[in-house]
Amino acid sequence: MKTLRALYRGESPIDFPALWRPAIVGSITIVVVGLLSFAILGLNLGLDFEGGTSYEVRAPDATVADTREFVADLGYPEARIQLVDDDIVLIRSDVQDPTRAVEIRDELIAGLGPVVAFEQVGPTWGEEVTDKAVTALIVFFVVVALYIAVRLEWKMALGALVAVAHDIVLSVGVYSVFRFEITPATVIAFLTIMGYSLYDTIVVYDKVREIVGRLGATERYTYPELMNLALNRVAMRSINTSVTSAIPVLSMLLVGSVVMGATTLREFAVALMVGIVVGSYSSLFLAASLVSALKEREERWRLIGDKVRGRLDGDGADDSTTHTRTIERSDVVAADTRAAPRRAPGGGPAKRRPAMTAPSGGGVPPRPRKKKR
Amino acid sequence: MPRRQLALLTGILSVSILASVMTVVWGNEPLLGLDLQGGVSVRLAATEPATEEMLDQAVSIIRDRVDGLGVAEPEISRTETGVMVSLPGVDDQERALSLVGTTAELRFRPVCGISNTARPEALAVGSWSGIHAACSEVESGAVVPAIGTNGYTDPEDDLIEDFVVLGLRGDASGQRYLLGPSVLTGEAIADANPLFIDYQWQVGLDLHKGSVGVDGFNDIAARCFAGDPTCPRVEGSPNGRLAIVLDGQVVTAPSIRAPEFQHDAILISGGFEKAEADDVSLALRYGALPVELEPENTRVVSATIGEDSLRAGVVAGLVGLLLVAVFIVGYYRILGLVALASLAISGALLWAIVAHLGTQSGLALTLAGVTGLIVAIGVSVDSNVVYFEHLKEDVRDGRTARSSVDRGFPIAFSTIVKADLASLIGAGLLWALTVGAVRGFALYLGLATILDLVATYFFMGPMVRLLAGTRWFAEHPERFGLPASGAVPARRSANAEVSA
Repeated sequence: MKTLRALYRGESPIDFPALWRPAIVGSITIVVVGLLSFAILGLNLGLDFEGGTSYEVRAPDATVADTREFVADLGYPEARIQLVDDDIVLIRSDVQDPTRAVEIRDELIAGLGPVVAFEQVGPTWGEEVTDKAVTALIVFFVVVALYIAVRLEWKMALGALVAVAHDIVLSVGVYSVFRFEITPATVIAFLTIMGYSLYDTIVVYDKVREIVGRLGATERYTYPELMNLALNRVAMRSINTSVTSAIPVLSMLLVGSVVMGATTLREFAVALMVGIVVGSYSSLFLAASLVSALKEREERWRLIGDKVRGRLDGDGADDSTTHTRTIERSDVVAADTRAAPRRAPGGGPAKRRPAMTAPSGGGVPPRPRKKKR
Repeated sequence: MPRRQLALLTGILSVSILASVMTVVWGNEPLLGLDLQGGVSVRLAATEPATEEMLDQAVSIIRDRVDGLGVAEPEISRTETGVMVSLPGVDDQERALSLVGTTAELRFRPVCGISNTARPEALAVGSWSGIHAACSEVESGAVVPAIGTNGYTDPEDDLIEDFVVLGLRGDASGQRYLLGPSVLTGEAIADANPLFIDYQWQVGLDLHKGSVGVDGFNDIAARCFAGDPTCPRVEGSPNGRLAIVLDGQVVTAPSIRAPEFQHDAILISGGFEKAEADDVSLALRYGALPVELEPENTRVVSATIGEDSLRAGVVAGLVGLLLVAVFIVGYYRILGLVALASLAISGALLWAIVAHLGTQSGLALTLAGVTGLIVAIGVSVDSNVVYFEHLKEDVRDGRTARSSVDRGFPIAFSTIVKADLASLIGAGLLWALTVGAVRGFALYLGLATILDLVATYFFMGPMVRLLAGTRWFAEHPERFGLPASGAVPARRSANAEVSA
């Protein structure tokens, strides 16, 4: 709470570089767990991917046991029975023959109650959809990587892809561990998560670029220090956006699915909740740390780092390899002023500079206020 | 200089209001998908490799069949391997399923009589004689053709051995044909082609040899030529007529002008246009459905379940929106109100577009689309958050609120464009590379993203700048959720050690 209040006041209370290591360890652990679960348990593939038939029967009096008996009498003892709502029973069998599926439906109507939803899927349908989705995914990754490399830089493209991949593996892992069913809606949820994660990462990177552009020229701060400042400055935005994105999803989860019983919404909402939280986390911790590590190896930043550390050691400061100095706001303002070209004294009628369209090199002075009154 | 801002604001507001008004005036409404209003969707796969032409033919045959069901927006399209049929809101789901799936047969039936009256009572058995000739058994009253409420034989009563009353394909005049039992089926046909002979379009028919072929055909041809009671002369024609029936509709009913035909020398002339000749030969060649189609994926959703999902989605959206509004106004105060107005503008435009697409292009809003839109709320608000947070930072860095506003917008907008472009790339790729629900989702994601950019550039930016021009803004930054303007706070160092 204290940290949050400091963030709100625009301070830099969080030492992100110190958190990166535990975050990466944690992420790797969870990713490994997710992958293991995926490899061992696999996914609980829904009807659309496995083929089969599902019926939703409105039968207020039927219990699961009753229904199972009834369906077993029809010759399908291994059909899965589930109470969806108070009065709706979901029956899933692996029947793939269309005629037989319709016959069973008629039996259900005669014996249990009206069939309100009926779905019959052949085995090839899911394969086709999956193939297309995988193709789309690969093309998506390549194109987006190129895009980020062009708009920002290739190291950031790499960081963004790692973050997005992490989020997807984690979301899929949640589905695998908790045995949630994968439906076409889930696939859409995963795609949404991917889009959200990417969007979030780009917003964070753009802030980093802005800060590095403003303060990098002073050569007084190491890359992680600048990154730390940028992350602290963008953290409040990330929190707010996560909250405003999560509220509708939460409402979908609670109002839509729990209160009103729309089950399709529930699966979707669970996946999205996970995705939003993880998406914001990965931008600040994974995407940022990877770029920071890559940039530190660059000639320029290595030299600056050595210089800064040398000076600190000279000051008699303790081991500085793990310590990230917090950049004070006064330093930021000072850097802005230093980097600014000489102005006419008193903020007089200096030459008007064109408005900046993107954070480029150095800082830009406040635009002189127009005299009007 | 507020003129530019005022112009942008006036522009976007007029466009939004105009779009909303036109949507109401035109009566555009979003078309609800199958999962939101109930209905039937069937994906049919061809059992053997089929050409595009065959599948197109199958699509048009299924469309003909489905038209009788009274579905508002049937969606029937060719896929790579078959046909996709989607019938949102269909009442009679049973019948829809059977209509779509069955492979109807082509039948040859003798014409017993033709009636131009639309009055069902005039179709009473006796009325066929006198005015028109009628096949003997019907005339004598020994057999009564089954006639449904619309004056035609219902599809389920259209049996091969029965007398039936059917209409002419593509003919709305209400002409009815009383037809005898089928004497031959589509199996007899080897080929059929449009031919241009004697300066007119005709259809050349080529039959197989043998009893299920030209011999069977010649058997009935002889009777029709002679005007036998089983194939009488009707309406003063010198010969009896043989109707070729497909899917409960008479494709063509030529008079038989010779007692015997060579198997590959049967010509049907009927003053056809070229398109008609093409159509008739296609129908004859392929019998019924040109390929055998098997349901691969069937989905039936009852109307009540669909409505429940829709209501849940709408309520969830509204509750979510309300909570977002409370949060954003609580946090950003007046700027929060600007964000909400911006959201309202992109919402109004989005509604207009979705309604227009639904009404004009038959593009349905599905549950996936609705959820996509709910998610879009959060992302749209983010554009505002990015800008507002940037303002706060600049004010803390010592700028005045007004200079922050001027300086911050291009920077924040550039961030938003970068991030939104990535979303757009994703949406575009998904649209191009996938099918079905994912595609619908991609469309709405892309739309919402574009409208987010529009609302940000044309409304949110100018609006904040206009507000920044007021004295109120300079005097009460806290009402805009901004920190008190000006100098760097002195008590900074005290917090330097705080960490998470």
